[in-house]
Amino acid sequence: MNSTTSSIGGLKKSDWPKHLLIWLILAVELLPLYMMLQISMKDDAIFLDNTWLPSNPLTWMWENYIFAVNLVLPYVANTVVVAVSATVGTLSLALLGAYFFARYKMPFSGVLWSLFLLLMLLPGVANIVPLFALLKQLNLLNTLYALIIIGIAGGQVFCIYVLRNFIEDIPKDLFEAAEMDGASHFNQLRNVVIPMSGSIIGTLAILTFLGQWNDFLMPLIILRDPELFTIGVGLIYLDGEYVKQWGKIMAAFFVASLPLIIIFLLTMKLFVRGLSSGALKG
Amino acid sequence: MPLPVSNKKAIHEWKLYLFILPSLIAIGLFAYFPAISAVYHSFFRWSGGDVKEFIGLQNFVTAFSDPVFWSSFTVIGILVVANIVKMIPSITLAVLIHRLHSDRWQYWYRVLVVLPMIVPGLVTLFIWKFFYDPNFGVLNMVLNATGLKHALVWLDGLFGWDVFHANIPIAWLGEPDLIIPALIIWGFPWIGAVGVLIFLAGLQSIGTEVYEAADLDGVTPFQKFLHIEFPLIMTQIRLMLVLMIIGTLQGYGLQFLLLGDEGGPGGRGMVPGLWMFNRAFIAGELGYACALGLFLFVFILVLTLINNKYVRVDK
Repeated sequence: MNSTTSSIGGLKKSDWPKHLLIWLILAVELLPLYMMLQISMKDDAIFLDNTWLPSNPLTWMWENYIFAVNLVLPYVANTVVVAVSATVGTLSLALLGAYFFARYKMPFSGVLWSLFLLLMLLPGVANIVPLFALLKQLNLLNTLYALIIIGIAGGQVFCIYVLRNFIEDIPKDLFEAAEMDGASHFNQLRNVVIPMSGSIIGTLAILTFLGQWNDFLMPLIILRDPELFTIGVGLIYLDGEYVKQWGKIMAAFFVASLPLIIIFLLTMKLFVRGLSSGALKG
Repeated sequence: MPLPVSNKKAIHEWKLYLFILPSLIAIGLFAYFPAISAVYHSFFRWSGGDVKEFIGLQNFVTAFSDPVFWSSFTVIGILVVANIVKMIPSITLAVLIHRLHSDRWQYWYRVLVVLPMIVPGLVTLFIWKFFYDPNFGVLNMVLNATGLKHALVWLDGLFGWDVFHANIPIAWLGEPDLIIPALIIWGFPWIGAVGVLIFLAGLQSIGTEVYEAADLDGVTPFQKFLHIEFPLIMTQIRLMLVLMIIGTLQGYGLQFLLLGDEGGPGGRGMVPGLWMFNRAFIAGELGYACALGLFLFVFILVLTLINNKYVRVDK
């Protein structure tokens, strides 16, 4: 039985044509990333002279990065505040909500559940205009609070949906044992649910954080003061102001990506596994 | 499944309702209230302040005869069709990775597929905007270096498009007729990281004995795809299709970043969401924008319901 070693693709054929094709596709796919990195070390003259290859390290334009850090770091700080708060808030609320639905079939829980499901059909796009008016009335326009609150509200449906399925699969005995010990529901959530759902919470946290980091349409409507700009709005203004100084712009793009790169390196396994295990089957 | 409880026990456990309360308040205030407010304000001439004037169905009548709104649906229709075609590379890549023998390589290719996600989506779009630049842009440089530019100019002469000229750099985002092609080409080779991973998850359910049997029958790689892999990831493909269609219909970030709030030269890239944004925040006609949003909402809702009825997505 030597078929255990070679199975899926084919029995006798080797894999190198597939590898070649995959590398070809990935090379083009990663081209924007590569161009961003290597252009961020050049000025326009060097770039026009040598478009494709990285420039000589001795001529690297570190001043591009000094420019980028000065310009983008405040935006990064604002975005971190918004994205972290929104992620923590979203998951805390969603865990509580999912626990409510998953633990007991309380009176009205069916009705409440459909209230959440209905929102899945409601495209957010129609809400933007009245949301703007509502924030204006609440005096939240031009604050980071507005972004955090909207992020938390917007994440509820998806996170509760995924977490409910997950909590329902936790063996009932564990809850009953905790109840015998006199644990309150809050303690059951803290001591039973959270330790068991680390990877799913991690995956949802990454997705929520990414969503916040990438959002620019809400910040564009809400924020006016440049001191409050998040990455999204900040880069849109940068695109308008520093036209054609590509080295500086690319360096700014890289600095804007740094926190994501750090998170990616720290959570690569969780990220790849979480998304590919079908954990998010909904 | 959640345990059923008696009414008596439910009253005893009343504190559980406190668990759901914060989420309920959040979606009530920031999802349901704006939705109802959108319906209400679509009957008004309203610019965001306290002053508003009831005008009945006037906003909807205007929307029906609004040529920009109609043409924006044509644009979004073209983009949806293009996006369906653009799913093919992701499926292909997932199948290629899945067929590799080495688990280690399969893992590292996954990592490489996910790698572009470390750059915020808007940065990727800005890099593509730079690729499209007539003079500095990488796209024109590639076309010049490979001689494809000559082919395009030749085709132009053949069909009389009048967009590609021998000695003039191609203005991808400046020439009205090239706006829609530019909106389609961006992101080439169109690998969606989440899509690839979800397809791979689906492919994992295929047992090796299926492949061994196919090999014994002398099945070609493409037939394998058609008869083994494709039917098994149908669920995932449908799921991605539904998500993609809804996302494309209500999205306008791409158009906003590449073309600005007017939809580019000649407004050729105007999509329904962007027109709503434009009316609300550029023209200050918030009431009219609410009406446009409602149109879009009903349109997406009907599509979603058709989807749920005829295209079953099994969990």
